[in-house]
Amino acid sequence: MEGAWFTFRIEDFSYAFLSVLLEGVPFILLGTLLSGVIDQFLPARWMTRLLPRNPFLAVCVSGLMGLIFPMCECGIVPVIRRLIAKGLPVSCGVTYMLAAPIVNPLVIVSTMAAFRGQAALEMTFLRLGLAFFVAVIVGLAVHNLPIAAVMKRRVMESMALSPETSGGSSRPFGQRLVAALQTGVRDFLDVMVYFVCGVAVASVFSTAINQEMILPLALNNWLAVGSMMLLAGLLALCSTSDAFIAATFVAFPGVAKLAFLVFGPMMDLKLIFIYSSIFTKRFVLGLAVGLFVLIGLLCVRLAVLGL
Amino acid sequence: MVWGVVLAYFCLSGRIIAYLHPAFHVYTAISAGVLLLLAVVLLLTVGGESAVSKGVSLWKQVFASLILVGPLLAATGISPSEFGAAAVENRGLVEHISDLPAFTVPTEPALPTADGSIGPETPIDAASYLKRTETGKIKAETVDLLYAAAEPTMREDFENKDVELIGQFLPMRSGNPTGDRFNLVRMFVMCCAADARPVAVAVQTGDGATFPDMTWVKISGRATFPIESGRRSALIVADSIQEIDAPPETFIY
Repeated sequence: MEGAWFTFRIEDFSYAFLSVLLEGVPFILLGTLLSGVIDQFLPARWMTRLLPRNPFLAVCVSGLMGLIFPMCECGIVPVIRRLIAKGLPVSCGVTYMLAAPIVNPLVIVSTMAAFRGQAALEMTFLRLGLAFFVAVIVGLAVHNLPIAAVMKRRVMESMALSPETSGGSSRPFGQRLVAALQTGVRDFLDVMVYFVCGVAVASVFSTAINQEMILPLALNNWLAVGSMMLLAGLLALCSTSDAFIAATFVAFPGVAKLAFLVFGPMMDLKLIFIYSSIFTKRFVLGLAVGLFVLIGLLCVRLAVLGL
Repeated sequence: MVWGVVLAYFCLSGRIIAYLHPAFHVYTAISAGVLLLLAVVLLLTVGGESAVSKGVSLWKQVFASLILVGPLLAATGISPSEFGAAAVENRGLVEHISDLPAFTVPTEPALPTADGSIGPETPIDAASYLKRTETGKIKAETVDLLYAAAEPTMREDFENKDVELIGQFLPMRSGNPTGDRFNLVRMFVMCCAADARPVAVAVQTGDGATFPDMTWVKISGRATFPIESGRRSALIVADSIQEIDAPPETFIY
């Protein structure tokens, strides 16, 4: 390995930082505008009527909702915040939040394309299957937690205060539209504060740290899986394009790439900050550690498939 | 409002070309318009208690505003719209085509027909897809040469032919015992500059050319594909190296 492991230049950092912001803003804006529409126009308890009453089935259906309502990981938090305010169980919201950035049509296509010639069908199937499985496991775990252990008190209070939470509004359409835009902008600004912080940290890693350092870790499955998940967390890539990056780590075993593809869209540096806008710090920390351990163990076990 | 203005500035000034894959430009442009529209709507409809400020202390609003606006404006002013040598080297150079994102294994042309002759649709005249300069040199990209190093049929199009290509100068830190080589780098982008991978081709010069790191240069020379360290690599034996301005599109896709 040549050169220093850390070389920070403010110009490189600014360039990477801006490029992620420019790429991410449209998706966050879409998510927050959608959250405003949900807040003002979706009838309360509509989501609970839509989902099966059995909690297990409801969580499973939530894990597949991304196939119909695809969302990227940047824009999904404000959407689930409003859905939870409208009566979606927190367990279903968390399941949808974790699964939808992976279990969606765009990611199927991009993963197939990125891994063409590298067992694309198997990798795509395993990516979606594992993401769904992990999201459901986490959703069922959240089902057994008190809501105060998951959601921030401030967020719960704002949900309780919202007049639209308890029922549909009788205000004229124009007023509700303006209120939806105001809600959307409020959510946009809320999320962007965390997004900016997360992107800043990720940009330091993506420009200042010599990424060849991790190559020796490829020789051992445990180290390879762990290091690739760590890399996914630090790079904070978009779930629609991360497969193209993962596919280039030819020195790493397939299970390590799989771990990268499943862990990254569920938990990375920018997402830690974004999740912190609605979830308690303890829950976010537990979620990060739990996902790392669960996905890591599952991927190492999947090595028997010979990926 | 500030975000809308900054996004609109990037779109209207053309600076966005250096940051995002073209597929994403339209989303950023739409977002700029929507954000500006939202700013106007909120300015016209805000009254009494501000929805944004409800329940949030003043210092938190100031702090959040600083985080939202400060880094964005500072980065817009500081960013040179391209990476320096340190960031490029930290990402690791793509020197073999199998390391390139979205790489697909090249497909060999159809086999000869049963009687041993070449099928009517098999040969494709290289002149139909290879662009040439006015002086007859093949206009190549760094990616073309990495593909050619890996695929014999494509290699025939380039091997020992005169080529011309542009890229950024980066000194070769290893595998350069005689000191007469450097890397010619282009950034390959999937979505945005943050995921860009530097695609590098080695260039050999007679007198060891030196330029500031990441200077844009145009190389004229002969394409060769020697086997070094057990792998076939692309190497341009340069006849001339000329400093040029950055092209309008700095990325390759």
